[in-house]
Amino acid sequence: MKKFENKTVLVTGSSRGIGAAIARGFAVEGATVIVNYLQNEEAAEKTVASCLELGGDAWAIQADVTSESDVNRMMNQIELEVGKLDVVVNNAFKPYVFNPETRKMFSQVKWEDYQEQIDGAVKSTYYVCQQAVPLMKKQTRGSIVNIVTNLVQRPLIPYHDYTTAKSALIGFSRNLAVEVGAFGIRVNCVAPGLVYPTDASRETKEEVKEMIISQTPLRRIAQPDDIVGPVMFLSSEWSQFMTGQTLIVDGGLVMS
Amino acid sequence: MRERVGYLPDIGEEIIETKILTFTRKGEVLEVEAPLLTMKQMQLVTEKVKTASSEVLKNMSITEIISIIDTAIEVLLDRHSTYRKKAEMLLPIVTGYDKEMIRLGLTSFLKKFRKHELQRFVVEDLGNPLLLDDFQPRVKRGYSKAVGPELILHVWAGNVPALPLWSLISGLLVKSGNIGKVSSAEPLFAGLFAQVLVEVAPQLKDCLAVVWWKGGDEAREKEIFRYSDVVVGYGSNTSLESMSRRIPVTTRFLPFGHKVSFGVISNAALDSRKALTTAHHAAFDIIQFDQQGCYSPHIFYVRKGGNVTPAEFAQYLAQELESYQKRYPRRTLTLEEMTAAVHWRNQEEVTSFSNPAKQVFGQTDHHWTVVYEEGAAFSPTCSNRTVKVIAFDEIEDILPSMLPYRKILQSAGIAAAPKELFRWAEKFGNIGVTRITALGKMTSPEAGWHHDGGFNLLDLVQMVDIEHSAEEYAEYFAAYVD
Repeated sequence: MKKFENKTVLVTGSSRGIGAAIARGFAVEGATVIVNYLQNEEAAEKTVASCLELGGDAWAIQADVTSESDVNRMMNQIELEVGKLDVVVNNAFKPYVFNPETRKMFSQVKWEDYQEQIDGAVKSTYYVCQQAVPLMKKQTRGSIVNIVTNLVQRPLIPYHDYTTAKSALIGFSRNLAVEVGAFGIRVNCVAPGLVYPTDASRETKEEVKEMIISQTPLRRIAQPDDIVGPVMFLSSEWSQFMTGQTLIVDGGLVMS
Repeated sequence: MRERVGYLPDIGEEIIETKILTFTRKGEVLEVEAPLLTMKQMQLVTEKVKTASSEVLKNMSITEIISIIDTAIEVLLDRHSTYRKKAEMLLPIVTGYDKEMIRLGLTSFLKKFRKHELQRFVVEDLGNPLLLDDFQPRVKRGYSKAVGPELILHVWAGNVPALPLWSLISGLLVKSGNIGKVSSAEPLFAGLFAQVLVEVAPQLKDCLAVVWWKGGDEAREKEIFRYSDVVVGYGSNTSLESMSRRIPVTTRFLPFGHKVSFGVISNAALDSRKALTTAHHAAFDIIQFDQQGCYSPHIFYVRKGGNVTPAEFAQYLAQELESYQKRYPRRTLTLEEMTAAVHWRNQEEVTSFSNPAKQVFGQTDHHWTVVYEEGAAFSPTCSNRTVKVIAFDEIEDILPSMLPYRKILQSAGIAAAPKELFRWAEKFGNIGVTRITALGKMTSPEAGWHHDGGFNLLDLVQMVDIEHSAEEYAEYFAAYVD
């Protein structure tokens, strides 16, 4: 039997990049994957198609995860269609361009920038979890995986707003883990390093990549597929006694 | 997807036959339509290019020509230009190389043809660029001018994308008419460059042509070689030899045949900190265009005595190749290449059983192979990311086995301290190496390099001298003589 057969998995922001790779990973293991997306319907349908091809079940739901009503609509739809939810991967985030040369200096960052990122990372996860936790409670089982960043541990490049928001998400995850552990629900984080290629990292220059590679024990930078394994590990019972943890997936650049 | 390649000058209302070359990569199919001219059309093109270049190019100053090429290169360096986008989209399908490898390779290659690099290019060969424009005074008295041929025919190979630019740009700099024959393996880039060039400088529209015919087409080659003043040929020694048999004695032939390159690593580059970077650079030279270039290394000689031993270096190299496989995957090999790779690996494995010092790294499912050996003879590998690491004590120990390859040696990538670098360069120069470069830069020759030890421009031009006597004699007939 495949590892995620008869399991329902929601991956937010999974039309492209890391999210799409995660969706495909679950599909290979037989899961029913809900491909959530904001705008790019064509890309989402492509991800759905490849999930089906890989042997899973999948469908796409459009929803802005920073909108409470959108999230409620999506979760109702999932409950109606499948009736349960086993895994949630909070992967969606506010679009951000990782370009060390054009990043905003502290003097240029507005509070609105922080707010936008906090909404993208924490508010969205909050809305999704508010709806997902009751569903998981019913089964006394569930796993929530939140995608953060290794920049929290080591802000190699100070993307102030982005990294601050992701730091908050780690704190959010730990608190939630403590409370929902009593219902058999686990909450963990996966913290990738720079992942290339994705739309967000498209502008990162070779020099920066080489700089990161030269300090990375595994001698390369991450690709979307590298993030899949750790996410699936934290979603499965292989990690049944782990909660509130952050797995760093960056080839060993950051160790903690 | 279908793309018309090549470039033709205006030869009137002619119906041009095309040959369809089909390329497939990861499910994407690209049909390339290459112009295949009849003998008569070929003759028309030749005449047109000759006339136009003598009327237009030969009357332009070298500064003007450089600035036109510079503008065309700017267009191709601009990642938002339609030409650049086209190159980035189509070259991976045509060549099979990874998209990122093509993108980065293009930028690093094209950068070498901007204005300042081209100026250096010209000065490197001629000293005084104005020699291409006008008679220039000589120290020994008298005057000289460098005159380019009327027509240069380039027969390009397709091993590395965009490579035709070296000879095509050289031909333009000496103000010659240029006709290029693209290879079936990479028929795209030369024509694309010609199109950009004509777009930025419409006056050059009839000064060049980029066409296709099947390599080795005797009748066609015999005919066109007759019209050309210089033939620049790239390819295997066999194809160049057969080409040379068809070239009339009055046409100059500049053949660039197969070459082999290697790297040499001093123990100074193998301390506990630097060994990793050294392996990273060496691996890049191997993976870039899957060792298809004449400048690609097949062997790394590694000196004993470093904190990291040569065998450990081989392991580092293997891991770097594996990391690069994830970043820039090797292209899909043809059946022939695959068989060669398996055969090479098998042979190395079999001989390693009887040689305890020999090790073969990587499994059959890896897209690279590293073989470590001591005291092995120089021998090119089967390319496509296969490499040998050979340990040595003194540089003199490795030279004898390279000697038989004197005629095909080209680049040596070196990681050594300055004193060693010059001592080794002297030794390698004596056995036929023509280019010493840094490790990690082997696949990226500098602007104005001496390709295979020759000159880019000087080999194309003819010097015209006005001897001092002529000048003095002319004075005698001047109207102003009192």
